[in-house]
Amino acid sequence: MTTPKKQRRYSGQRRAGISTPQILIVVGVAVLAVALLVILNINRSPTGRVSNLAYATGVTPEGEPYKGSPDAPLELVEYSDFLCSHCRNFADALSTLGPDYIESGKVRVVFRNFAFLAPESTQAAQAAECALDQGADKFWQYHDLLFANFGTGSAAYSKPRLETYAKQIGLNAATFRNCLDSGAKAGEVQADLDEGKSQGVTGTPTWFLDGQMASGELPVDELRQLFDSKLSQ
Amino acid sequence: MRLLALAGVGVSAYLTWAHLAGRSVVCGQSQGCDIVQQSVYSEVGGIPVALLGLVAYIALFALTLLRGHHLGGMEGYIPLAVFGISLIGVLYSAYLTYLELYIIYAICRWCVTSAVIITAIFLLSLPDLKAEDSSLQRS
Repeated sequence: MTTPKKQRRYSGQRRAGISTPQILIVVGVAVLAVALLVILNINRSPTGRVSNLAYATGVTPEGEPYKGSPDAPLELVEYSDFLCSHCRNFADALSTLGPDYIESGKVRVVFRNFAFLAPESTQAAQAAECALDQGADKFWQYHDLLFANFGTGSAAYSKPRLETYAKQIGLNAATFRNCLDSGAKAGEVQADLDEGKSQGVTGTPTWFLDGQMASGELPVDELRQLFDSKLSQ
Repeated sequence: MRLLALAGVGVSAYLTWAHLAGRSVVCGQSQGCDIVQQSVYSEVGGIPVALLGLVAYIALFALTLLRGHHLGGMEGYIPLAVFGISLIGVLYSAYLTYLELYIIYAICRWCVTSAVIITAIFLLSLPDLKAEDSSLQRS
């Protein structure tokens, strides 16, 4: 039985044959290759990071979201643009110091939009305000998710993506979409911007610690020292 | 099949260029293409997914050109190579389409076009494979 097979394979009259085992090997290699690509891809997906908040949240009488104890001895009011990388770094530094200062009730951080960089800044700011409608805790989760997705492309704050983030943190999708599509928060975002300008804010991040204005991001250690010195006064 | 591979080269070359140049993709009314193209899923180990597609389509196109030529006995494996490469393409496209639908919530028409092209090439590769296989089984 093997002789004719060999003859056919090497006769040169036909192309070399493909056997079923060879096909199976190719299928196996293909499946492995795709599995490898998928695994490499999964390791690169930060979009699912939704933090569980370990700190108190609330809204000031002026309607601005805050995190930390309302009775904290030290208050930091931050003007921020979601499209600004220094704001992202500053937010990261505050998160790093969270357990020692915010969760322990020593510092309260108040967030104010200063959406001035690009139309997407305004869109993201409005989306964050829409999230705030569904709870101060939701605002901070949304805030964290926006910054976590910072740099995933210029479309990171496009409407479909903003709606995706809303779903990820469990917001009511229809309410959120209506809020964003109707431009209901355009006035508030503009008012925040005007308020900041009237206080002398020209860029982001600009922050007021105990009423004292400062701008730019600070490394974690310097921010810690600053908090400690203010708290010891 | 040759034309399909060529169309695939065109689509993936365009998407690779747009991704690397950071350019917006022509996408009708929707923003889907840019969202997908600039998402974290658009690269694997630093390599744009569109570039992987481009390499695969160029390989497929080259293989279709080589068909019918004598390659010292290797020509018989061309259908197997087309089958293997297009199978990887089909499986990976299925995964990427799943990402678009359920994770990124944005559909990129160019990516769907590529998925359709690679599926067509895969289906066209099957009869060739079967002919080769059955001829062997019968002998």
